[in-house]
Amino acid sequence: MTALQRVQQWASFARVWHLFDARWQNPFDSGVLIAKHLKGLQKPLYSEQSLCGDHVVVINCRHIALPGNEWRKRVFFHHQTYPGTATWTPAWEMHTRDPTMVMKKAVYTSMHGNLLRRHNMMRLHLYADEEVDPEVAARVTNVIRQLRPIPERLDLMEKEKVDSFPQIADLNKDYVIPELKEYPNWESQHQKMKRQGKKSKSSAK
Amino acid sequence: MFKLFQLAPRLGTLASRCESYPIKFLRPFSVSPANRLKEIREVNDGKNITIEGVYVDLPKADKVLKVVAENPNSCSICSLGLEVKHTDVLILSQFVRPDGCMLPRRITGLCRKQQKRIGTMVTMAQRAGLMSNLNPTYSKKDPEKRGQWKKFKSYYDESTIGQRKPPKPEYKWIWKKRNFYEKV
Repeated sequence: MTALQRVQQWASFARVWHLFDARWQNPFDSGVLIAKHLKGLQKPLYSEQSLCGDHVVVINCRHIALPGNEWRKRVFFHHQTYPGTATWTPAWEMHTRDPTMVMKKAVYTSMHGNLLRRHNMMRLHLYADEEVDPEVAARVTNVIRQLRPIPERLDLMEKEKVDSFPQIADLNKDYVIPELKEYPNWESQHQKMKRQGKKSKSSAK
Repeated sequence: MFKLFQLAPRLGTLASRCESYPIKFLRPFSVSPANRLKEIREVNDGKNITIEGVYVDLPKADKVLKVVAENPNSCSICSLGLEVKHTDVLILSQFVRPDGCMLPRRITGLCRKQQKRIGTMVTMAQRAGLMSNLNPTYSKKDPEKRGQWKKFKSYYDESTIGQRKPPKPEYKWIWKKRNFYEKV
């Protein structure tokens, strides 16, 4: 084997470690893309049984975005095989318990339910924030492009950018700027009683 | 003593049209509108309370976008010809009061369709947590301090504005190896 042939062999068959930033991304749409890389479908020498997939490191799993009211509507079903142990957990509850779970399930359900799925899932590495294990970070060589653009928050924008933007609204000049009411710090009944040191009716009993 | 009564008569139009000032018996004059916005300021000296109407310049008066539109009667958003999205916070914030409320249509000057559309998009941007500086005084200002599902990020689809239900797709029976309904 010549040196060139050796390099060619390594270049075509070496397992690549990809990085994907899940901030502001839909996990189910990006799960389809990640699953493609886990199986190795992006390679011309793809073969299902040869397990030629790559590793994918997903960061910022805590900051995924779901459309509309899907945080409340999307439920994850689990059954412990005992009668009465069927649970339907909404996505927001799942996310508070484990921030990587929603992303993991999104990638898992985007694959076919064959025996290779578990093998391909072992090559997925999920992290809630940007802190990655140094051993994993040292292997990453490629970045997968994000699907959705990241929106900018108005309160975090630079003042120059906000000031230099043109005025599109043609406001009617006969408008009186209303006085903003300053409401006192709103606190619930429970918080008020706690502050006053009173016990609630239910605890008294 | 209220200074408002001593001021020039054209401010009668101001006081009668103002929203927050309670006195309504001032006769509205038919005078051409002044070229600036109006603000009511209250100064408390301890002995005297002076309530005066002050002229305030429009925000960014020098940066008003002049668009040559096909239809000269179109509103400011229609004449742009742009697809405004809920993430275009710099455009949406121009139609919003400092406490987060939308301005009424007679002030924004938008057509009925765009007023409703921009109003819905402002709601979307607020729910996504993109305009947390334009919030009432009692709000937490940080979207991550909200409770339960509200602290998580969400995005919205502008094509659903005005729709009550998603449109029902047309299905037709197609004979294939596995018989199933397929969308035509």
